[in-house]
This record gives sequence, structure tokens and C-alpha cells, in this order.
Amino acid sequence: MTAPPLLRVEHLTMRFGGLLAVDDVSFDAADRQITAIIGPNGAGKTTVFNCLTGFYKPTVGRLALNSSEGSEHFLERMDGFRIAQHARVARTFQNIRLFPRMSALENLLVAQHNRLMRASGYTAFGLFGLPVYRHAQAHAVERARYWLDRIGITARADDNAGTLPYGDQRRLEVVRAMCTEPVLLCLDEPAAGLNNRESAELNELLLFIRDEHKIGVLLIEHDMNVVMKISDYIVVLDHGRRISAGTPEQIRNDPAVIRAYLGEEVDEALPAEVARDLGVPATAPRGQP
Amino acid sequence: MAVSEIAVAAGSRLERPFVDILKDAAITGAVTFALALPLVGFQTVDQTTAIVLRTRFPELFYAVAVIFLGRLLMLLTNAGLARPIAAATGALSLLWLANGFFDVFEPPHMVLGWLTWIADTVVALRAALVMRRRQVAAAGYLRSDFGEHVVVMVNRLGGWLAPFVAAFAVALPFLPFADQRVMDIGIAILTYVMLGWGLNVVVGLAGLLDLGYVAFYAVGAYTYALLSTKFGFNFWEALPLAGGMAASFGIMLGFPVLRLRGDYLAIVTLGFGEMIRLILLNWSDLSNGARGIGDIPRPSFFGMPFTPAPPEGVVAFHQYFNLDFAPIHRVIYLYYIILLLALVTNFFTLRIRKLPIGRAWEALREDEVACRALGINPTNTKLTAFAIGATFAGFAGSFFATRQGFISPESFNFLESAIILSIVVLGGMVSQIGVVVAAVVLIGGPEWFRDLSAYRMLAFGALMVAIMVWRPQGLLAHREPTVRLNDPKRAKPS
Repeated sequence: MTAPPLLRVEHLTMRFGGLLAVDDVSFDAADRQITAIIGPNGAGKTTVFNCLTGFYKPTVGRLALNSSEGSEHFLERMDGFRIAQHARVARTFQNIRLFPRMSALENLLVAQHNRLMRASGYTAFGLFGLPVYRHAQAHAVERARYWLDRIGITARADDNAGTLPYGDQRRLEVVRAMCTEPVLLCLDEPAAGLNNRESAELNELLLFIRDEHKIGVLLIEHDMNVVMKISDYIVVLDHGRRISAGTPEQIRNDPAVIRAYLGEEVDEALPAEVARDLGVPATAPRGQP
Repeated sequence: MAVSEIAVAAGSRLERPFVDILKDAAITGAVTFALALPLVGFQTVDQTTAIVLRTRFPELFYAVAVIFLGRLLMLLTNAGLARPIAAATGALSLLWLANGFFDVFEPPHMVLGWLTWIADTVVALRAALVMRRRQVAAAGYLRSDFGEHVVVMVNRLGGWLAPFVAAFAVALPFLPFADQRVMDIGIAILTYVMLGWGLNVVVGLAGLLDLGYVAFYAVGAYTYALLSTKFGFNFWEALPLAGGMAASFGIMLGFPVLRLRGDYLAIVTLGFGEMIRLILLNWSDLSNGARGIGDIPRPSFFGMPFTPAPPEGVVAFHQYFNLDFAPIHRVIYLYYIILLLALVTNFFTLRIRKLPIGRAWEALREDEVACRALGINPTNTKLTAFAIGATFAGFAGSFFATRQGFISPESFNFLESAIILSIVVLGGMVSQIGVVVAAVVLIGGPEWFRDLSAYRMLAFGALMVAIMVWRPQGLLAHREPTVRLNDPKRAKPS
């Protein structure tokens, strides 16, 4: 019998009053792989994320997380902060949510809050500066330094996070999530607003996380450059429904996907720009992969 | 006419035509006249038989003249005469101050005299500021750097200064000028410093705007008063219980307001403060209602009371140390108690800020959603902030009860909450030294200038407006990271 996948989403449905934001979506996300969720605006991608990370309670569905260490969690039953604390699912946000008036280093230390709280004896040991807490603190700073080195902003570690350049803030948010030592990292449009160089740096960071830290990454992204280059598996949503899933190669040639992105008209040739983003030849008639 | 000649001579160097400036000042004067005529010019006086209308035209003339001249000087300052105006008004301001000490010249009306001095000083300070700005602009600095730089310096110095301030506070009772009045003011200031530091945990660190902080102060005070008068607890036994009681009230308040932030939280906490006061007022069986609780035991020094004639078998403080009885002994002892409590508060809050819980409070203030995504339990984190803030208020409350010997709900009205919050906001959130400065100004100031008590609220308001205009983030607001990776001295200025 094969081990269950890291994350198995079954029949996930989210209804807000009369609006069906996510409609019976099922997919798997494997360990040590980057799984991308793509789809046009309003397809329900962020809603899926919010269900996974406990910001919404799904109307219907099962979200089973099986870490390689053998623990099993049903995310749909857990409170938001408990998902991050016990199931160890970390996330970033579409609009950056750093702690802008705290230093970059402090941002990474807040991410290690639960471990440090235990080490500080829920503040009692920390108040008297016992060695057990001092070691934990030094260890946490070392971990933060490792990640700051990784994204190359160690020199600005003591500056307020809000004063860092935009691209650095994006990557700082990603490594802040990594400091919680997650088994699944959920990234909501990490490349939004980045220029080509910054976007390349982000790709490198995500591949590093997948390969060196051996965790699963779940990615919402609009930038096809990023998606096609680094994803191992892609799930396509449209109007809350899953319309396709497969490897980048399969997705790029799936007529349903092309229809969702470009509308029903299949006669016209793709505009050159769009074709390049989707990675298909500009002259290929759609409907015939 | 020498004045007009100077004006014409100066006019050639002005950056704006003198006539323009004169016109502007005249318009300002006219507006002042229109506003002040009904407000200042006429006064209704209640005589036994009827209400009479009285005129106050000299005051009206004075107001218009001050505004006209002030505006004129300010515009001239901006037009390039900053240096001579700063020199002239500064000299006048100093002369006036000197006159205040040596009484050479008696102004016709004392308050008008002081108002003139304030107006003159404001013009002088403004002219100096404009001068400074022009120099800085010429040197190519950013305008805002200077104030920030000063604040960073003061906060850095704060670390060095703190032991000296503490040493001064410890030595104060033995200094020659320390009479009963000085000690009373010192006790009042220290009480509010302690309350300010306690509230800083809730408002400054956790970012939870609490307008009902006085409720916990009241809980602490009543806990001590009831425990001591009904069950015979002494001060030191009751102190932890009062803190614990206040903390549980903090948690009680915390639960219903967990989901609220900003304005809504402020309103609910305001209501909570009033509720506690009204309960104390109306639950007469427990709190004795509006008559309050009297005869609260004074603290004793290791069981030795500060009384001239102790009961049989008890040795009083002055007998044990072979001193003559003096009421100030007890005041000094109370002073040391509150100093100790304040220092404990300071040590605790400084320390806890650098612990995970302190960083979590600040993170919660910055972004609650991100905190949840990082696995921080917002409920527990907020409740600890409320509980710890309330504990310190509870300690301060029992001190208040033992110092006064009598408490009633009147002592715990909204104004107290407002004053404590003003101390935190004026001093600058998260700034320990800022709270001390603000408490000295807001509590010590009115106590020193009791003669001018009618104008206290006016000065208070003016101060608030000035701070909000020039330093909306608070006098000494500046945040140092709780932990550093790089040495700040070697880091290049960015």
C-alpha cells in the first residue's frame, strides 16, 4: 500500500450565502513537490487557501494532512492558529502581511513563537534569564540568520521590515513562514508585483525550499512564467470548479484550460503575448493540442 | 518715524512685500476681533437681582494686538528676518523671566503678563526653528531628521540616564529641599509613572486601546481596603491578592472584547471602567457606596506602626530607631514603597518586552491575521496583556488605598483613565523614559503651579495640541529592536 499524499483535498465546497465560491474541488498535493493552483480571477483559489489554513470553515469537504512523520490532521476541524501550530501548515498572503514596525529578525523570531514560549517556560524562565531559555533564543536567532543569509538581507536584519524593498519583503514573508518549520507551505501569489530579476530570485528560493527542506509547497500564482517553470503538478480552477489537473506539459495543452483563460472563441489565434505566457506556439489553433 | 524707516529698509530685503504681510496680519487681527468681541468683549455678570452686561474692551484690545503682532512677526520670520526676530523676542522672553524672579516691574495684570510672555516665547521659538530649518536645508539634510535624531539620542541616553534618575529618586527624601509637599508630589508622580508603565503593556505593546484602565486601579484599591478592614490583612499580605484580583478582572474584561479593535474596543473598555465605578457606588453592602471606606490601615515597617502613641506592647517606628516622632517618616516610607513598586513594574515590562510573549504582543498589534497564520494563539496572548496590565494597576490601587486611608468611587472616574492614557500617549508608546517625562509634566506641573490652577486645563489643552501638531507619535516615541543581529554602531546609516 502506498503512503497517503501529504495533503488530500476531497469534495471541498465553500458557500457564502448564495455564492458558491468553491464547488466540490478535490486534489492531492504531494510531499517534496510544488503544486500550483491556477485559474482566472475569482476562480476560488484564495478561498481554497483560506479553508486550508483555517481562516474559513469549509461548508463540505475533508482536508487530510499526512506528514511524513506519520501524524494525521483533519484541517477542516481545526482553528486557524492550531493548524499552523499543530498540523504545521504555514502560509503567506496575497498582500504582504509582515509586521512592518518590527525588525526583519524579529519577524522571524515571532514565527518561532510557540517553540520559544515552551523554552521560556511560558515566560517564567525567560523572566529570570535561565540558560534553557537563553539557548533556545540563541538557537532561534541562528535559524533566523540562516534564512536571512539565504535571501541575502542579513545586513539589514535590524531594519524595520516595512522599510525593506518590495521584493525582499515578499521573500521575507516566505522565509518567515519557513521559520515555523512547516510540513506544507502555502504561498498566495508570491510573485505578484515582482520584476523579472526578483521573480527569478523567488523561483530559486522556492526550489531550494522544496529540494533542501523536503516539504510540500502549494502555490497560487498568476505569473505563468513562475508556474510553468517550477511547478511539478498544476490544478486549474474556474468558477469554483476544478477543470483540469496534471503536469505543466499536460496543462499547457489542455483545451479546457485555454478556454477558461481566453473565453469560448476558439477560431482566433492566440495573441502573441498570451501565447508566450501560456507557453504554447502563437499560431497553434486551440482545441487541437 | 524710526520704526517705519527700519521697516522700509528691511522691506528691501524681504522675500515678500511688506504691504502684503501687513495686510495679512491686519486680516488676522480683524478675524480675531470678530471672534473675540462676543467671547471676550462682553461678559454677563450675575448680580442678586438681575444679570448685567459688562464690557471688557481692554482685554479685547489686548487679544487683537497680540494676534496681530504675533502674526506680523511670524510672517516676517518666514520672509527672511528670522535671525533678528529670534534675537529680539528671545531677549524679551528672557528679560521677562528675569523680571519674574526679581520683581523689578509689576505687570498690570499677572495672567495677561504671562500670556504675553508665552506668545513672545512662541514667536521666539518659531523664529529659532525657522532659522535652524534654513541652515539645515542649506546644508542639505532632510527636515525631519533632526527631531528623530534627538529622540534616538534621548532614548539611547535613557539607558545611561536611568541609573542616575533612579539614584536621584532614591536619594530624594534626604535632600535638603524635600519637605512634605515635595514628597507628596513625588508619590503622586511615581504612582502615575507606575500606572503609565502598566498601561503601556496594554496600549503600547499589545496595541489594545484601553480607556477603562482605572477600573483595575479601583479593583486593587477596594480589594486591599476590604481585606484589611474586614479580615485584618496587612498591606504586604493583601498586595499580591489585590494584583491577582485585578488580573482576573482584566481577563473578565478581555474575553468579551477579544474580537474588537480600535474605536470599538475603546468604547467597550470605557464602559467597563464606568461599570466598575457604578457597581462600587451602588453595591452598598460591599463597598459602603458613595460614603466610601475609611480607616484603612496604614502600612507598617516590619510591624512597627508610624503613630505617635502605639498601643500597648507594640513598638512604633520612631521608638525603635530612637527618633522624635515626625509625620514625614510615614510619607517617606510610602514614597519608598511606591518607588519600589514602580521599579518592579519597570524591570518587569522592560524584560517581558524582550521575551517571546512581548514580541507576540507587538506582532499582534502590527497584524493579527499574520499572527494566526504563524500559530500564535491570539486569545491567550491578548488576555495575558490585559491581565498583566491590570495586575500593575491593582498594585498601584492598593498603594493608593493605604496612602489615602480612605477611598470612595469618586476617586476612580473616567478622568483618571484619561490622564493615565495621556501620559502613555504623550510620552510616546513603548518609551519607558517618555512615560516618566510625561508623568512629571502632567502630574508634577499642575501640583507645582497650584497658584495658576484656574488655567491648568488651558495649559493642559495647549500642551496636547502642541504635541499632536509636532510629534503625533508622542514625545519620545522610538522603538529599539528587542534583539539585534548586527552591531548598531558599525551599521551604516541608511
